[in-house]
Amino acid sequence: MTSSVPSAGPSEATYRSIVEHAIEGIFQTTPDGRYLLANPALAHIYGYASIEELFGNVQEIARQLYVDPERRTEFIRLMNEHDSVWGFESPIYRKDGSIIWISENVRVIRGADGKVEYYEGTVEDITERKRAEEELRRAKTAAEEASRSKSQFLANMSHELRTPLNAIIGYSELMREEAEDMGLESFIRDLAKIESAGKHLLELINGVLDIAKIEAGKMEVHAETFEVTKMLHEVATTITPVVERNNNHFEVVPTGELGTMHTDLTKIRQSLFNLLGNAGKFTNQGLIRLEAERVATPEGDWLHFSVRDTGVGMTAEQMAKIFGAFTQADASTTRKFGGTGLGLAITREFSRMVGGDTIVESQPGKGSVFTMRIPANFKNAQDEHPVVEPEPVRTGDIPIAEGDQPLVLLIDDDLTVHDLVRRFLHKEGFRVVCASSGAEGIELARKLQPSIIVLDVMMPTMDGWSVLTRLKGDAEVSDIPVVMLTMVNNKEMGFSLGVDDYMLKPIERGGFVSVLRKYCSPQGSPTVLVVEDDQTTREMLRASLEKEHFTVVEAVNGADGLRQLQNVRPAVVLLDLMMPEMDGFQFTQEVRANSQWRDIPILVMTAKDIDADDRARLDGQVSRILQKGACGRDELLAEITSRIARATRPNELIAV
Amino acid sequence: MKKLLLVEDNEMNRDMLSRRLERRGYQVLIAIDGAQGIAEATRHLPDLIIMDMSLPVLDGWESTRRLKEQNETKTIPVLALTAHAMAGERDKALAAGCDDYDTKPVDFTRLLGKIENLLPGAGAVA
Repeated sequence: MTSSVPSAGPSEATYRSIVEHAIEGIFQTTPDGRYLLANPALAHIYGYASIEELFGNVQEIARQLYVDPERRTEFIRLMNEHDSVWGFESPIYRKDGSIIWISENVRVIRGADGKVEYYEGTVEDITERKRAEEELRRAKTAAEEASRSKSQFLANMSHELRTPLNAIIGYSELMREEAEDMGLESFIRDLAKIESAGKHLLELINGVLDIAKIEAGKMEVHAETFEVTKMLHEVATTITPVVERNNNHFEVVPTGELGTMHTDLTKIRQSLFNLLGNAGKFTNQGLIRLEAERVATPEGDWLHFSVRDTGVGMTAEQMAKIFGAFTQADASTTRKFGGTGLGLAITREFSRMVGGDTIVESQPGKGSVFTMRIPANFKNAQDEHPVVEPEPVRTGDIPIAEGDQPLVLLIDDDLTVHDLVRRFLHKEGFRVVCASSGAEGIELARKLQPSIIVLDVMMPTMDGWSVLTRLKGDAEVSDIPVVMLTMVNNKEMGFSLGVDDYMLKPIERGGFVSVLRKYCSPQGSPTVLVVEDDQTTREMLRASLEKEHFTVVEAVNGADGLRQLQNVRPAVVLLDLMMPEMDGFQFTQEVRANSQWRDIPILVMTAKDIDADDRARLDGQVSRILQKGACGRDELLAEITSRIARATRPNELIAV
Repeated sequence: MKKLLLVEDNEMNRDMLSRRLERRGYQVLIAIDGAQGIAEATRHLPDLIIMDMSLPVLDGWESTRRLKEQNETKTIPVLALTAHAMAGERDKALAAGCDDYDTKPVDFTRLLGKIENLLPGAGAVA
């Protein structure tokens, strides 16, 4: 083997050495999940001292190694299809029960008859990379969250800024009028400047507020039906003085019959004001045209509005920037022409919110054409039914999903709230039925006997307080809990009228769900408390459990688990034994010592080898001990389900 | 002289608006919350009520609703003042029985136009 004669290829010893010393795990496995070959690196990655120990312990790869046994099935499916798999990533149990992520590169080896003989390939531990990816994802979510809070703050702040500005503008107008009466010429000029600066500041604040609301997702679409020609006439009347200021000529040129639109009138009007105001600002002694045309497409009618000017125009580079917030074509533009640079950003966002878009064509020195294309009928693209239904829903044909999940009755005149609440409560395991008026709400409450009623305070015709009084005065429904949705805190009034709880608008999803759970824990989704110090395992369990419609509450150690029990009463506790601060043994003792918690089933999941001593400590205290790694996901779920079923007869709880 | 009732809790807005309206030849009565607004309206029967919507004690919507339920006050036009930011507020103002609305900050010329439109015998300012 140490021959100096060059051989045809590396010797067997060389191959052996490569396999023995490789950093990556190398293996051969049979289709039924046994090891034929493994190298020390593989045993090391999986937490075993030697290859022998690995072979001795792992007889069934799918169930013992893969956290999700389905991964092995998926792996085999891919192998059959492609004969090789590259970068197949899965979470894996190590010997001690901890979870790591691996990436496998594998190919299939077939015999002469084409039948699969074995698979061979390499394994790399990618846990660190996965962790880094996860951190990155979290950082991104946190950054987006921070950006939203900032926008929310801006929206609130802008509103506060208006109040003093109201006084500044009002008093300067008042003083100017009085100065005019008294003939105080020099005062008039200065007061007019204060007034004009105040109005400019107000415009800036309005722009910032609009942008902040758009970014915070608080800008809503209120669709209404209107005649396009009439709207154009109103816009033209208002904007003509502004557009004609630089000795421009302004004309409105409709093509054909424009008909009606059903969309957000205020946003369309403001967008046209922005485009026309800009055209006027950047054009001197030129022509400004507002053109409008109705265009039929297979997806329905669209309205095209174009604002054409003969002004300064823009280069391609400038055009690329103008729709960004706070940018004008360049900084010198701001000095020369003033303005916030928000108008075009707002216009584009508005047109997109109603399902259309705004585009620009321009040449320097030749002028610009801004075209806004808007669907004639606004549809909410996300769920493909109109957010605003002109007629109230009739009680007879409200579809209510079958099932035994708790039924939430929402009474609110704002249909966008219906849509929002319905979508997120559905995900949380509630059934939702909505009423858009107090009268309809009362009727539905009687007919459907919901588990809980969520009631908006501010509604036309019959407000929330009147609805509440009626509900609480009606023996058929008076015992159904009512949660008020309100923008203003008015607790005294509410509690005296029999309100059970409050939620503040705008609705914050987490808070909303936790209030609902206080009154009706969805039977379809019992709560499981997972007490486990390893984050990866917790997340894995959460994912599996939530998929099965369990509600998951996490605790990072025993002490944290006890704290969680103060707030929630889980149907089952899933408990790890080895944890810092307070271990599973002590946690179990504390739970069993408390009369209120005594009958909650506890399932111990442990990677520890349970010895007789441990067993004695847990005897009679826990419902079942499951060995991590040895117990598959389905088995775990079945165990949880059976414990929940038995929990109605707590005496049956026996440790095994 | 036409009699206007201004229901507004913000002191500066109240002072400024009432002075400007007086300059235009209106007699202006003042109330600082919804409950006081109803009391003043019932006692003095003004020609028109300008009502801020976000008021303490009793808000503008509820106050308007009650004014429109009372026989002696139900024919008095109510002009709602709503915050510009809240799109839903104007619909709610109209639903509560307000005859017209204007947004804050107030554009005084526009507000005068609306007042004159709503007054019985439109435009006849003493």
